Amino acid sequence: MARREDGRDWAYRVDPYGFERPEDFDYASYEAFFSRYLVVLTRRAIKWSKLLKGNNSIQKSLKVKRYIRKGIPNEHRALVWMIVSGAQTNMEQNPGYYHRLLEGEKNAKLLEAIKTDMNRTFPDNVKFRKTADPCLQHVLYNVLVAYGHHNKAVGYCQGMNFIAGYLILITKNEEESFWLLDALIGRILPDYYSPAMLGLKTDQEVLGELVKMKVPAVAELMERHGVMWTLVVSRWFICLFIDILPVETVLRIWDCLFYEGSKIIFRVALTLIKQNQAFILEATNFPDICDKFKQITKGTFVTECHSFMQKIFTDPGSLSMATINKLRETCREKVLSQG
Amino acid sequence: MSLLEIRLRGLSALPARRRAAVCHGLYHIPESQNTGGRNRSSSAAPGQAGSPGAGDTGTCPGGFGISPEGGSTPSLGSCSGLCHVRVMLVGDSGVGKTCLLVRFKDGAFLAGSFISTVGIDFRNKVLTVDGVKVKLQIWDTAGQERFRSVTHAYYRDAHALLLLYDVTNKASFDNIQAWLTEIHEYAQRDVVLMLLGNKVDSAQDRVVKREDGEKLAKEYGVPFMETSAKSGLNVELAFTAIAKELKHRSMKLPNEPKFKLHDYVKKEVRGSGCCRS
Repeated sequence: MARREDGRDWAYRVDPYGFERPEDFDYASYEAFFSRYLVVLTRRAIKWSKLLKGNNSIQKSLKVKRYIRKGIPNEHRALVWMIVSGAQTNMEQNPGYYHRLLEGEKNAKLLEAIKTDMNRTFPDNVKFRKTADPCLQHVLYNVLVAYGHHNKAVGYCQGMNFIAGYLILITKNEEESFWLLDALIGRILPDYYSPAMLGLKTDQEVLGELVKMKVPAVAELMERHGVMWTLVVSRWFICLFIDILPVETVLRIWDCLFYEGSKIIFRVALTLIKQNQAFILEATNFPDICDKFKQITKGTFVTECHSFMQKIFTDPGSLSMATINKLRETCREKVLSQG
Repeated sequence: MSLLEIRLRGLSALPARRRAAVCHGLYHIPESQNTGGRNRSSSAAPGQAGSPGAGDTGTCPGGFGISPEGGSTPSLGSCSGLCHVRVMLVGDSGVGKTCLLVRFKDGAFLAGSFISTVGIDFRNKVLTVDGVKVKLQIWDTAGQERFRSVTHAYYRDAHALLLLYDVTNKASFDNIQAWLTEIHEYAQRDVVLMLLGNKVDSAQDRVVKREDGEKLAKEYGVPFMETSAKSGLNVELAFTAIAKELKHRSMKLPNEPKFKLHDYVKKEVRGSGCCRS
């Protein structure tokens, strides 16, 4: 793989996406993992080339779903996300729309809010530095401004900057990033970012209910110490695990998110909680519980993205959309009644 | 209750469950635990050596307000262990909440290294106040307006609030009243509250005078100071003052004079410029 030949120092200090590795990065265990993962990546790359057969089109099918769960090779990721999310179709049906949004009249308040976050989006990524050439900050600004004017009910919500940032890193294309953002915010995620954030609050409660069903001891612990779910998981939902889990793991999760929908977020959350049940249960007070929830998103279990992704489909057990929809309905009522 | 009543109250005003900061038995929480780290590494997995909290807090029946039923409230005056307090940082987006926290936690300020806080984040720091260890769990919140509806839920669990504005951003100062209204509505009646005017290192960009901050604070009966996360001015003081107030509330010793937060802040605060000391 090309990334292995970029020069050892550079390749090690900065990951393939441009993120600087933290000083305490555990190179030894990452190396051990990556040499194994490379075999998987190679195998998947061959399978995907056959599947796409150079015609760059795919139909939703069980086989494609299985392929996606095993990871989309990076070179096909943007394309597959575009197709399975419907972003490609929308883009093709609305030629020039994105650029018209950027040329139109602007809402000053919205621009201000977006500007505030420009230097605060991935300062640890060399491509998002002000001094980078090309500087992805400009691209990010455009995508967010266009989206804020496209979906006026949502406008701009913090968290969208990180999501758009990832989309830009993967697609390397402004317009595609815009349409993928639209797919996520407009269709895949249920109302997480609008001013009332009703969908977000609902889904945090839904997770609480699912934990009650699937990991009751943890639910009981949270209840006993009065820890609200929103305290420990709001960032999981809003940022779709960006800056919570390692980059490669986040991308594997997003592969499934674009194909299978928001239910994947619950699978990931439940897997993290279930897998670390004993560890979480060691907590004996409120701050300890909060700390545990931070720690369970670190370590080899989440770095080893391939086995992690296998786990999310087995560990939490069955999770039907019917169950989630029913829970969403009751939780939404609860959230609304709490004002 | 009027807004003017959001101010410090004596111990007697503390509901029983809020007095539960007293911990029996000594235990130690390693100070090295950093829960604020970003995650792109494959550092030690949970449960491995160095993980804090594993079984070392078993003797504490809870921190401040930790047991919602209040059933295990220990008697006062025996806090020989560690008090847990929860401090929440609030204020408009971009006023420097995270920077202030990082300056306090790590003593560092690295321009351009901060990410916007989404939802809520936590960092812990243990302070020693008058010989007693006080573990601050500091909640760093998102400042964007729409997150307030999410943040409301957190207020009730906070023992102290640091409300920030940016002295170089008039709008953030003008919004302080709205923040106080929020606090009035959602926080505990006896929450410790302090107003901070941050970024005073940017003297040339200042648009909010210190006198304006002082006046507003006085109006609402809230202690006030100007801070700089960049230079470190008054950062430690802001957190120490809070820790002192909460520690005194939780374990008032028989012969100890009442701690007066306003007076302490007035005495200890340092000025930002040449005009006033």
